[in-house]
Amino acid sequence: MTAVDLGLRLHLALAAAGVLVALAAAPERRARWAGSLAATAAAAGLVTGLAAMAGTEGRLTLSTALPLAPLTLAPDRLGGLFMAIAGGVGLLAALFGIGYAHGPSSSATSWAAFVAFLPSVQLVPAAADVVSFLLVWEAMAITSTVLLLADHEHRPQVLSATRWYAVMTHLGFLALLAGFAVLVAESGGTTLDELARAVESHRQQGGRYHGALALLTIGFAAKAGLVPLHVWLPRAHPEAPSHVSAVMSGAMAGTGIYGLVLIAVRLMPEPPQWWALALVALGIASALYGILQASVATDVKRLLGYSTTENSGLMAIALGLAVLLRADGETGPADVALVACLMLAVSHAAFKTTLFLGAGSVVHATGERDLDRLGGLLPRMPWTATAFALGGLGAAALPVTAGFVSEWVLLQAIIHGARGEGRVVAVVMPLALAAVALTAGLALLTMVKAVGVAFLARGRSEAVATAREAPAPMVTAMLAGAGVLVLLGVAAGPLAVAVAGTVDARGILATSTAGLHLAAVDAGLEPVRLTGGVLVLTALVAGPAILLERRRPRRRTTLPWGCGGVRTSPRMEYTATSYAEPLVRVFGDALRPTRDVAVTRTDRAWFVVREVRFHQQLEDVVEQALYRPLQAVLNRTAELARGVQNGSIHRYLTYSLAALIAVLAAVSR
Amino acid sequence: MPATTYAQLVGTAAGVLLLSAVLVVWRRSLIAAVRLLALQGVALAVLVAVMALHAGEGALLLVAVLVLVLKAVVLPGAVRRAMQLAAGEREEAPLLNPTAALLACVALAGLAYVVSAPLVEIGDDPALRVVPVGVSLVLIGLLTIASRRRAMSQLIGFVMMDNGIATVALLTAGGVPLVVELGVSLDVLLVVLILAVLTTRMRSVFGDTDLDELRELREE
Repeated sequence: MTAVDLGLRLHLALAAAGVLVALAAAPERRARWAGSLAATAAAAGLVTGLAAMAGTEGRLTLSTALPLAPLTLAPDRLGGLFMAIAGGVGLLAALFGIGYAHGPSSSATSWAAFVAFLPSVQLVPAAADVVSFLLVWEAMAITSTVLLLADHEHRPQVLSATRWYAVMTHLGFLALLAGFAVLVAESGGTTLDELARAVESHRQQGGRYHGALALLTIGFAAKAGLVPLHVWLPRAHPEAPSHVSAVMSGAMAGTGIYGLVLIAVRLMPEPPQWWALALVALGIASALYGILQASVATDVKRLLGYSTTENSGLMAIALGLAVLLRADGETGPADVALVACLMLAVSHAAFKTTLFLGAGSVVHATGERDLDRLGGLLPRMPWTATAFALGGLGAAALPVTAGFVSEWVLLQAIIHGARGEGRVVAVVMPLALAAVALTAGLALLTMVKAVGVAFLARGRSEAVATAREAPAPMVTAMLAGAGVLVLLGVAAGPLAVAVAGTVDARGILATSTAGLHLAAVDAGLEPVRLTGGVLVLTALVAGPAILLERRRPRRRTTLPWGCGGVRTSPRMEYTATSYAEPLVRVFGDALRPTRDVAVTRTDRAWFVVREVRFHQQLEDVVEQALYRPLQAVLNRTAELARGVQNGSIHRYLTYSLAALIAVLAAVSR
Repeated sequence: MPATTYAQLVGTAAGVLLLSAVLVVWRRSLIAAVRLLALQGVALAVLVAVMALHAGEGALLLVAVLVLVLKAVVLPGAVRRAMQLAAGEREEAPLLNPTAALLACVALAGLAYVVSAPLVEIGDDPALRVVPVGVSLVLIGLLTIASRRRAMSQLIGFVMMDNGIATVALLTAGGVPLVVELGVSLDVLLVVLILAVLTTRMRSVFGDTDLDELRELREE
């Protein structure tokens, strides 16, 4: 029995025990016991994933009473990578949840759903046949829907968010079901390997193959949150409990990316060009639209939700480019792009988990998600602030985090891939480069806003004044997430090599100082040396400055008249809205803000203003333009369908008679 | 039993079955409908008995006795009991007037003959030739359910459908297994009892048994 064999069984057993404990344990012990079991199960999954990544084989076969092939869980190396990602995220989220879950989100149902949610996210990449894949996929959807509903009694918007989520996730499931059904019908088998073989031999037949590809892509894109299927993300993420949001964003969105990578490397190697172009286009749209919406969002969790769309977009760009480059014969840059996609998935999981847990800690302490009412949390919550700031560095793709390394690899692939001969590549590469660059810039602004407005300056509401640092398990989880993020950023080489191994990418090398060398495009990055150099330079500049400052006598400046600038109040600070104002102005056409400025003047003189009220609302343009008309059409159709049902029993009986006669007539022909 | 006698007996019994069904559709008086239902039960029992004697099967004879008890006595009795509260109740305004209903019956019987052609062609047995009667019984029963307003008429239509199903099963497969037949009959009995109770309740609530009163139950 290999490590993977054992790990899969242990993982499932622990998760099952966790569900039972969550349902049976006394309320005061539930969080600790169920949370610990969930964390242990996630850790088992993490280890299993790492073992599978290293090439260990193993499988778990579950026979069913149904007339189907037995369910098989057998992670390959790529599956192992995503299993490990989900395991790591789950471990941190479960740990965080022990301290965080309270009220409705700590009920027996919520804990049981959470403990069941983690393994379902982890086992999607482990599934080796279509039936178990869809089964686990659906389990993931159902448990997360239950978790999302936790607080529905107190906040009505939870219901609306859940409805959006449930509908989108199930439409995606239907697309997957249909896509896989076509492939299964073509191949006659249900395991992924059989499907891949059938695709290989039926490639020239066209139609059905392309249809299945499109359906699968829609299903996976909906889960990854790519525009225009992203509408559930900015709704569901804010309303879910934060540790659940962390898993949904860090790991569950990753399963969508896993699906896309699965198509490209395993199910249908050498996918057609239209697919790659569509993926790049979706990716560019998602990256730009996601980060733009994130940069103007004031709800911190909504901001993070849109940032997930952005990162999924970057991954889609990387994957699409990898396919394009490979079709063009540029295997070196193609491998680099593919590795960039996977590294983005890893780093996104690390920083988004940290950020969501940090946001959860802020919500836990203040009850506020609105950045405009936060601020000044750094002295009150130093650990949360540290973790959130490091997560922000990762999301802004700055050194020394994994976010920087993965985006650097992506840029290397784009820049060096552009040297190819192909005409399509020559057009696509500059576009992708521009999109990634703009995205990176906006991400930096967004994260500066999130960290700066939430944690720096002075508090903007009373909730902030009484905020306290989170309890130990939560702090541990956040700092561990931030630690992993930095560790992966420093040890860029080993990370890239490990990731490259899962897709057999060649030319990805690690240097002796854990640096990264991309032989294919002849580029290198040395995070350790870079960090060391920056630290030395900082010390050289800051050290003398501090020393000089100490020697100088203390001076105090008092202004005779400060033009009103002396009486500062928190109301004068930059808020999230005002910080993003230039962006709203520049991208006004894409964002379509509705602004409401109400000026109240005094009775005495028209030019003396007593009060100015400013209200700005930013809707999701895609939702308005695409989904609202669709909903209207659906509603009208539903109204028509209502006419069929008038409640008269005779009408229904006549329907059955007519149906019977119709069936008989059809049969007798 | 000589083959011609057998064929004639089967044909007569089937004819009575169909005739009673058509008469139920034609007559408006509910009490007459119940009597016709009992007649139909007797005809069905006779059909079973004839087949039993022809095949020389004792078990089938037992089924015939059971059918006689259940369909000619117990079920009509239960329906009649449920009706006693409103003796002389009539189907005042069926959704389909009797003439139209009779025409519909003709059409349905024709359809039944068309669709059961493959069944008739299975073999040479005279019993198979009357399979369409069973199918017509099912269709006419459903027509009665759909076109009548009184809850009691629905009951009668339901029992007729069951008779039709039993007839087809009997003619094609030489009778369903005893256990299944008993189970189905008990189910039908249960449904009849439930509907009887429901009718009483309807009458006490609405003062009427017109099913259109139930329209209010729809969710708005």
